[in-house]
Amino acid sequence: MAPLSSLGNGIPAYAAQVNGTNVALLSARISATGDDVFMDAQRPLSGAGAVTRGISDMNPFENTNGYYVPPQTAVPWRSARADQAPLYSAVHPYKKPKTAVPVKGPTPAALNKQITAGLNEAKLNAKAKLKVTKAPEWPVSLQNFVERSFEACSLAMRKPLEKQLQQIIASATNNNKMDTIDWDARPLPKACDKVKTSSTAAVKRPVKNAVAFVGASNSFADFDSAERKERRLLRFQQEAEAAKKAADENTALLIPPTPNTNDVREWDVDTIVGTCAKLEKSYLRLTSAPDPSQVRPLSVLHKTLDLIKRKWLEDSNYTYICDQLKSMRQDLTVQRITNEFTVEVYELHARIALETNDLGEYNQCQTQLKGLYAMGLKGHAMEFLAYRMLYSLYTRNKADIIAALKTMAPEEKRDPAVRHALNVRAAMATGNYHAYFQLYLSAPNMGGYLMDNFADRERCIALQKMCKAFRFKLSLSAITSELSFDDEEACVKFLTGLNITATHEGEHLATIDMKAAYPFAIAAMQKYNKVDIKGQIY
Amino acid sequence: MGLGYKKLENGINKFRCVNGTKNAQEMMRSIRIHDAYTARILDEVWEEDGSWDALYKRKAKSGLDEVSLAHFQAAACYRQSNFLAAYNHQLTSYNAFLRVFLEMTRWGVHTLFAISKDLSEIALRADMQLRAAGAPTGKMEEATRAINQGFSMCMTDREPVLNQSRKWGTYHMANLLFGLYLRLHAYNLCVSMIRAIRASELPPLEAFPMSDQVTFRFYRGMLSFRSEKYHAAKEDLLFALEHCHRSAYSNKTRILIYLAPMLMMEGRMPHSRILRRYPVIKALYGDIAQAAKAGNIGRFAALMAEKEQQLMDLGVFLAVEHVHKIAVRQLLYKVYLIDGKPSRISFERFAQGFTAAGLPMDVAGVECVLVDMVFVGYIKGYLAHEHGMAVLSKQVPFPPITSCPAPTSLSNGI
Repeated sequence: MAPLSSLGNGIPAYAAQVNGTNVALLSARISATGDDVFMDAQRPLSGAGAVTRGISDMNPFENTNGYYVPPQTAVPWRSARADQAPLYSAVHPYKKPKTAVPVKGPTPAALNKQITAGLNEAKLNAKAKLKVTKAPEWPVSLQNFVERSFEACSLAMRKPLEKQLQQIIASATNNNKMDTIDWDARPLPKACDKVKTSSTAAVKRPVKNAVAFVGASNSFADFDSAERKERRLLRFQQEAEAAKKAADENTALLIPPTPNTNDVREWDVDTIVGTCAKLEKSYLRLTSAPDPSQVRPLSVLHKTLDLIKRKWLEDSNYTYICDQLKSMRQDLTVQRITNEFTVEVYELHARIALETNDLGEYNQCQTQLKGLYAMGLKGHAMEFLAYRMLYSLYTRNKADIIAALKTMAPEEKRDPAVRHALNVRAAMATGNYHAYFQLYLSAPNMGGYLMDNFADRERCIALQKMCKAFRFKLSLSAITSELSFDDEEACVKFLTGLNITATHEGEHLATIDMKAAYPFAIAAMQKYNKVDIKGQIY
Repeated sequence: MGLGYKKLENGINKFRCVNGTKNAQEMMRSIRIHDAYTARILDEVWEEDGSWDALYKRKAKSGLDEVSLAHFQAAACYRQSNFLAAYNHQLTSYNAFLRVFLEMTRWGVHTLFAISKDLSEIALRADMQLRAAGAPTGKMEEATRAINQGFSMCMTDREPVLNQSRKWGTYHMANLLFGLYLRLHAYNLCVSMIRAIRASELPPLEAFPMSDQVTFRFYRGMLSFRSEKYHAAKEDLLFALEHCHRSAYSNKTRILIYLAPMLMMEGRMPHSRILRRYPVIKALYGDIAQAAKAGNIGRFAALMAEKEQQLMDLGVFLAVEHVHKIAVRQLLYKVYLIDGKPSRISFERFAQGFTAAGLPMDVAGVECVLVDMVFVGYIKGYLAHEHGMAVLSKQVPFPPITSCPAPTSLSNGI
């Protein structure tokens, strides 16, 4: 496992949000994909240079390894961290040492005055940056680590080193990893240019980390050559400069984007254009007028959508994806962007919500999409018209069904997906459960996800009818096939849920006493009398 | 001062006098846009002759004067087909009248009816004119809100003598509002108005004039019909049909449009006399009823597809869809008769019947249909899945449909 505290550079931007949930998100992400992010941390801050050119001419996904390098994340995150510190220190878990005096680590004899001064300075800086009023004491191993880092650092690299140490310690503090990290085994910061393979830390390091982290540079014989040193120095200086510059700008785009009248309808004085260049942003319901610096313009949102799509494919974390999509929707709304991109965002969220059965969010998207399609924007209007019909069938919203039927054009009715939804409606209206369950199995697009929600309700209705019509007994296999259960086991599970038991005759033939089951089937219908949907908009 | 000025002044004075004598009929007539009286006065008035300006400059006007002056102006504009200006004047007149109406008792409601009706008509024309010009409409909505005020002034009147209460105008105003709300597709407002009337302390509906009763029950029945409360709807619409004025032909047609499908789904097909008398009903339901009665489900499905949009526009499609069950029952009954009334019939045999009727179906589908038939009580008996047989009751395997509970009472809510 990679040392988690070194994730500083690679942590995606959502960590920058001072928000309780993001801490959890962040730590979840770290524990889940520690190695990946670790590799990112290893990468030089190639994005930082690009920041100065403005985000518009930069592709955030442009990297060779396929790992995502957040272009600006490191910088805003670092600047935001100082504000976060008090928040986290308030809940700092470790026990305070009994004595307020820090336990002094063994000072190596070789440590000269300058190094000691540097160490103290670094400590002070780090503490001041963290604004920890009652700083929890550093473990001895951490103090050693800091000392070792300064030892291994040339004078010229002192400043970058301080910065990196601050970052490492702050990230450890924020993640409460201060005493879980093996500081002795942790690789020294990148600024330590005098690192030798013979150092005690390097020996202790696990082989995998060594290869991943310093192996490449250590293996070169000319590691300490003057030429390389100089190049490295130059690179770090540039890096620091770029970082500083970006931090000053604090995520703002260099050139504020101008509104595109094609994207914004009903333009007025209250319409804003965002200047935020962060790709990711957590959703927070606005309670006041939106602040342009916190709103992402269209160009950034395009990139965000790509990122979110990829993340959804990678790890399907709906809590995170939903949060991101909601914030995107909010940014689109406050900027009044109504174009095909808006449709795309809403469609994506609606589909993902369907997949994760978040019908509240789905309905919100569907309602918006209806309006967007009505404006003549291109999208998958037919697909979503079919979903809407199925959703109305699920919620038994008769007024909506009638209105939809009334306004449907003949060519819309010919669309296969819409046709399917209409057939479902007809099957339900005429009580033809056989047709219904055949349609259930052949639902196009993601209609099946929607139909899952009311399949059990329709099964109860059908069962009620079958109980009355078959009267004596019916084989389990007949019910299974007629009500489209995956297998008899699922059918038995469903029936058991309704307190209906199957009796076995012979070896395989299981039957249901329909007369006895009838009262239970009636009782089961009770819970379907009302549909309660969270987030329902009327 | 020309003759026009004199005439106008007379008209305005008359309106004030009528208020003193409380002559409801006279007052109503003198304020109607289309009345000959108004026309006679306006014949003498010309836009250019300064009569209007002179009248405006006159000494302080009372509320009544304001009502009649704005009325004459509205009528003048209406004559010139300038409906937008007419609407604005009429609205002024209406709002002024509401202030006067506050002091009136029961005798004033007829004037309120007249002036409300004129306002809604002019608003409709103004909206049409605006729409033709491509301008944003909304006069109907505005007028409806104003008329709603008049309605509440009737409904919430606190006159202690019931006989003198403005409450007697409630249902008439409600009927006017129903028409406006439906035109605006505001069904929820209709429902909330019914709820408000039910909550208010009004004399019983039966005590109101029959015309108010019939109209009100037609609208209420139609709204129950739309929300598929067929039982309540049938009761109201049957009352409306039976008590509707015998010469109100088109009103009866409108009642039958909603009533016929409800009776059809109970198995009562419209009589040929009705179909002869009401060609609209015949065109809508004649063929469907025939196909259902004959059990010709193939033709029934074709007719439904053909008339779908028309039925949908009238809001009766879902109700007519329920008649499908009657058609199926008739088909199954025919199979039973053709086979010589056996006590058991195979699913296979019924499937052949479906094929013969032009709507082929597999055995599993037929079984599902039979389950439904047994469930709603159109077939007495039970099904044996293993044998693929329907075992029919010995006494009445196919009871008369009218003796069965309406299928909609058992429907699953869609």
